[in-house]
Amino acid sequence: MNDDKNYIQLIYRLIVIVISFGFLTIIWPYISSVITMLIFAFLFTTILLPLVDQLESKINSRAISIIIVTISLITTFVVFLKSFASGMLSQARDFSKQIGTKGYDDNLNSLATKLESYLNKYINIPDIDSSNFVSKINIMVGEIIQNLMSLASAIGGFIFTTIMVLIFTIILLSNYHEFKKSIVQFIPNKYFEMGLRVIFNIERQVSKYLQGQLLAASSVALMSFIGLSILNLMGANLTLVVFIAIIAGLANLIPLVGPFAGMLPAILVAIMNNIGSDIAINHQIFNTIPSPFYILDIIIMFLIVQQIDNNIVTPILVGESVGIHPLIVMISLLIGGTLIGPIGMLLAVPAAGILKVIGVEIMFLRRNAHLL
Amino acid sequence: MKNAYWKNIFINWGKEESETITIIKKIPIFANLNHRELEEVSKLLHDRIYKPDEYIFKRHAPGEGMFIIHSGIVNIIVGEASGNSQVLAELSNGDFFGEMALMEDEVRSAAALAKDHSRLLGFFRPDLETLIEINPSLGNKILQNLSKVVCTRLRKTNDLLMENQLVKKKKS
Repeated sequence: MNDDKNYIQLIYRLIVIVISFGFLTIIWPYISSVITMLIFAFLFTTILLPLVDQLESKINSRAISIIIVTISLITTFVVFLKSFASGMLSQARDFSKQIGTKGYDDNLNSLATKLESYLNKYINIPDIDSSNFVSKINIMVGEIIQNLMSLASAIGGFIFTTIMVLIFTIILLSNYHEFKKSIVQFIPNKYFEMGLRVIFNIERQVSKYLQGQLLAASSVALMSFIGLSILNLMGANLTLVVFIAIIAGLANLIPLVGPFAGMLPAILVAIMNNIGSDIAINHQIFNTIPSPFYILDIIIMFLIVQQIDNNIVTPILVGESVGIHPLIVMISLLIGGTLIGPIGMLLAVPAAGILKVIGVEIMFLRRNAHLL
Repeated sequence: MKNAYWKNIFINWGKEESETITIIKKIPIFANLNHRELEEVSKLLHDRIYKPDEYIFKRHAPGEGMFIIHSGIVNIIVGEASGNSQVLAELSNGDFFGEMALMEDEVRSAAALAKDHSRLLGFFRPDLETLIEINPSLGNKILQNLSKVVCTRLRKTNDLLMENQLVKKKKS
């Protein structure tokens, strides 16, 4: 009789789970953007909360603390964006001037011929039509300009999302402790202490992970800046060094893929700035290995930065904060990337960390269930 | 409408001391705390209601913090629940228990059972740790008070032990 009851209960639960999943799949397209905004607001809250709490204990006003932190954050962001935009504009202006000059085609032609001769040294390629190469690059430039137009509309969406995330973050920051308390009060007495323990552990792990990642990203940005400046001293003629370094630092937040994504802006700028320079085209590392446009130098520099970050900086700053097996990191990255793209990859590891903490606490609960 | 707006802003002006603060300022762990600090602590407390004969925690269960009795009666029980258990203390309004768990991540050495309909205020280690991080001077005051409480209890235990040994010697 009792077995029958359990069986019915199990079927009932299964039906409820299936219906909930079905319902979630239907409404997901409508709520996914809000959920993403909320996740980001929660992540920002976790990063900013200690700062706001500390400021509040000093000036005795949470509202003023939040205003100070938010305004300084917005100012930094706006200053960064403004100088980035003006830097990009002057870069684009210079590049378009270069395209306009008569020598541009000749430069590309000479580059193509040189590349051909380089390649012929190592691989026997029958014939490369260099004029075709030039026209292809011209088409590519046209496509890039078209893409820039669609980028403008994407920026509009980005600004809206940013404002919404900011509003959610301010609300969460101002009521975080009350909000947490109001959630915690629903835990039954029997599981109360254990529930608090699980929530605290999750909170601590996520906060530790995010702060560690932010520190590691800053150190990668700083090291990239130093590396790029050294390359400039060697004559690489790189501009927007600060922004390339910051982008490399931010890209570093995505494990495995990020470090390579961080190299791309530097390589692009190196090609754009040196397209007419024979010295840059013929550049060789230690006068032996050919590295046109300092591309190989840039790759080596970023690899060195990665090695220092992975083996010295991250173990010290981040430590074993989440401590997930590399295979699990890769699998969670793939799942996150497939589900919601680059943002999913950014959130994959903290999400895996949260699941691990929940798993560990559930095991702990199971072991001590008889004591509750 | 206009008045309601200003009323909302000055809502805390002239407000009397909350019931929670009146209770916790008598607790030795929160001694020497000024009103603002007491308010900060009261924000972290968890208000819990327990029915008669409901366990607040069992012996050997992982402990996370202390409880202050707002109202009601709580029995502290040692020994096994199966039979040879013994009521160590009966606590009522304004008493506190479980403070050891604020300092160590260990299991409970005794069980706590609500004898009556009880309202308790919980102060837990995660909240204390957060407090130490965001307001070290307040966290430090609480830790000092906590160590004083533990020292007093240790001294009392030593006295009891010595008395017990003296009684044993006299008997022998």
